[in-house]
Amino acid sequence: MNNKPYLFAESRFLLSRRKFIALGGAFVAALALPVGWFSQKLMQRNDYIKARSKGLYRDDATAMLRVSHANPAVEKYYRDFGGEPLGHVSHELLHTHFIDRTRLKS
Amino acid sequence: MNHQHDMRPIQKHPLNVRVFHYLLLLSFLPLAATGLLLFFKPLTQEAMQLTYDIHIIAGVVMAADCVAFTLMAFDRVLLFTARVFSFGKSDLGWFKVLGGYPQKFLLGKKVAVPPMRKYNSGQKLFGACVLIGGTLLVFSGLVLWLMPHIAPREAVYLLGQVHLVAGLILTAFLPVHLFLAVYRFDDFKAMMLHGNVPYHDAAEYTPLWVEKEVVPVSGEKGC
Repeated sequence: MNNKPYLFAESRFLLSRRKFIALGGAFVAALALPVGWFSQKLMQRNDYIKARSKGLYRDDATAMLRVSHANPAVEKYYRDFGGEPLGHVSHELLHTHFIDRTRLKS
Repeated sequence: MNHQHDMRPIQKHPLNVRVFHYLLLLSFLPLAATGLLLFFKPLTQEAMQLTYDIHIIAGVVMAADCVAFTLMAFDRVLLFTARVFSFGKSDLGWFKVLGGYPQKFLLGKKVAVPPMRKYNSGQKLFGACVLIGGTLLVFSGLVLWLMPHIAPREAVYLLGQVHLVAGLILTAFLPVHLFLAVYRFDDFKAMMLHGNVPYHDAAEYTPLWVEKEVVPVSGEKGC
């Protein structure tokens, strides 16, 4: 006995099991493609930073001079001209002064 | 058999489809309106912020609606996908006369139109655009909203362009869809109210669907 408000409906067996699996697989694959593409982009987003730090570490490891206070040019500056580190002449010459150049202050 | 006055109801849109469509309607209309406002930016900063907030809320509703319907009615989604991506000679014939609508509206003439299944060729084209465009909109919208700061800049730019193009195409479809939906008033009532179309309407517009896919309810086991 039909107690529904309609007399006809679509057959419930329009979609065979084989077609369901094939279509479902294609559907999920189509959805997985953009997600996969984006995840890959997300994973690779810091690759250039990592490559840059790797290069810096490699340069550091192979450098003849690895610390600034052992730099012959710096040693020569203090010996012939600047006196001592943090001394008066060095402070006058090397200290940086800042000027407030902010134009807009709200 | 002449079905001219046959009012026997055929279920065309089941309840889950109608609920999905209600939520889609409630979310997509504000999304289209706020999307255009966000694109042209005609309002003040505060009003644009409110527009953005409405766009996000409506977007979340639409995304939740689409994901929930896909999970809860996967068979219907697959059936819809299979229907909108099917293409044959009859579709070519339909597009040649554009379903007979221009002749009917502009010249008052009735031309022969190839018999259609549940959706005519125009609806299938629209359905394919909605399926692909909607998926792209939901996916790109979620990324643009939730993770623009951690996603690579070029990917965010590309997804922004995809969001814009897909949104504009679907928004352009909207007035046509609304007009034809109201024009096919029996189908409109079926989608918005009870889910059923009278037999004569289905037999006139979707004869192959009635012939090949529709069965009497009492005659099918389990119905």
